[in-house]
Amino acid sequence: MPDPVAVNFIDLTTANVLALFVIGFIGGLVSGFIGSGGAFVLTPAMMSMGVAGVVAVASNMCHKFPKALVGAYKRYRFGHVDIKLGLVMAATASLGVWVGADVQQHIKINYGEAGSNLYVSLSFVIVLAIVGSYVLRDAIEVYRRGDTHAEERTSRLARWVQSVEIPGTMVHFRTSNIRVSVLFTIPLGLATGMLAATIAVGGFIGVPGMMYVLGAPAIVASATELVIAFVMGFGGSIKYALHGLIDIRLTLILLAGSLFGIQLGAIGTTYVKPYLIKVVMAAIMLIVAVSRALVVPVYLTELGKLGLAPDTMTALKHASFAFLVLALCTGGIIIVGAMLHGHRRIKPALKDHPQAAAE
Amino acid sequence: MGNNKPYAGLIISGLISGALYLALFLFHHEIMAAFTRTDGWYPALPVITAFMFSFSHGAFTGYFWEVLGITARRRD
Repeated sequence: MPDPVAVNFIDLTTANVLALFVIGFIGGLVSGFIGSGGAFVLTPAMMSMGVAGVVAVASNMCHKFPKALVGAYKRYRFGHVDIKLGLVMAATASLGVWVGADVQQHIKINYGEAGSNLYVSLSFVIVLAIVGSYVLRDAIEVYRRGDTHAEERTSRLARWVQSVEIPGTMVHFRTSNIRVSVLFTIPLGLATGMLAATIAVGGFIGVPGMMYVLGAPAIVASATELVIAFVMGFGGSIKYALHGLIDIRLTLILLAGSLFGIQLGAIGTTYVKPYLIKVVMAAIMLIVAVSRALVVPVYLTELGKLGLAPDTMTALKHASFAFLVLALCTGGIIIVGAMLHGHRRIKPALKDHPQAAAE
Repeated sequence: MGNNKPYAGLIISGLISGALYLALFLFHHEIMAAFTRTDGWYPALPVITAFMFSFSHGAFTGYFWEVLGITARRRD
């Protein structure tokens, strides 16, 4: 006998289907380029269509793992993916997801829905503002030095991490071309998983973590994140499927758009300089941080700590969503613009060297 | 350069992907009823379906960009 389904599944209108397709496409484009970060806008977008929060999260999760799989395969063919590093990080990230979900549950029980929303938004603001600023500063420094064509410099922290020899734990990650103690990947993986469980985008810690803590190149870090996203998303989808919470229609419509996007984003990485991945990542992270900061006063009011008027709260919620969409579109525009620029730059070179065109 | 574009692949994967999406829209009531069951092997259905769509539609989107001439640039 089928279990009675506790949640309602919405009727889909043509407008809803088109909106999901387009958001899926841009989300996929960003994920294919920076490894993750395209999914954060999907949950609130679906919720604004009337989808229950938990169904939105479940359906989003179930569209993420096949998308990550297609993206990872594509970028593997370009030689960007460090499978060993991805699987090592994914092992602890999966643990992090469980811990993160438990923390969420604990906060929800003790502080209610508003408390949980506040926790999620504050996590967004704090993590994205700190990591986003750091990534942006690094991208600006590379640009100022004028060596955007040069190989990336390894951060001081990563040089230290690589210099620490802990017998029996040293692993050589071939594609990233780094040799580090596997112990350093544990806190990174845990934090990635915890963030994924909290804000649905673990890559905002995973990618900068692999770049600045372990010393992996940006292009490898962003591709390897897709392996981690696949493993986490696969596990999470099974968990939600066991509770009958996945709306497969939403999942497949998102997938219809995002598979176009992720392929284009992955192709895009082969046209741009590595520092541009950092620019896109920083831009998206900082705009999303603003979006989430805007709703903090709303949740504080719901908890009785502030006294905002209902109109102000609605306006802040709308503004917050607008910033989320802006973040995604900004990422999409930079990626497409950079691809066009890269393509135009390369075309004359191919004319002069037709052999290169054959490749 | 334009002669060896994978038109056959595009058409075949497009037909498979299109058929799968058509089936989803035609039978969405039945599909939703079965896919939200939590007993037996029913929870495997959404996950297996997501995989199936990712292979067929993923292949189609890959060919789509290739036929349009948007392909990866290989470095050296």
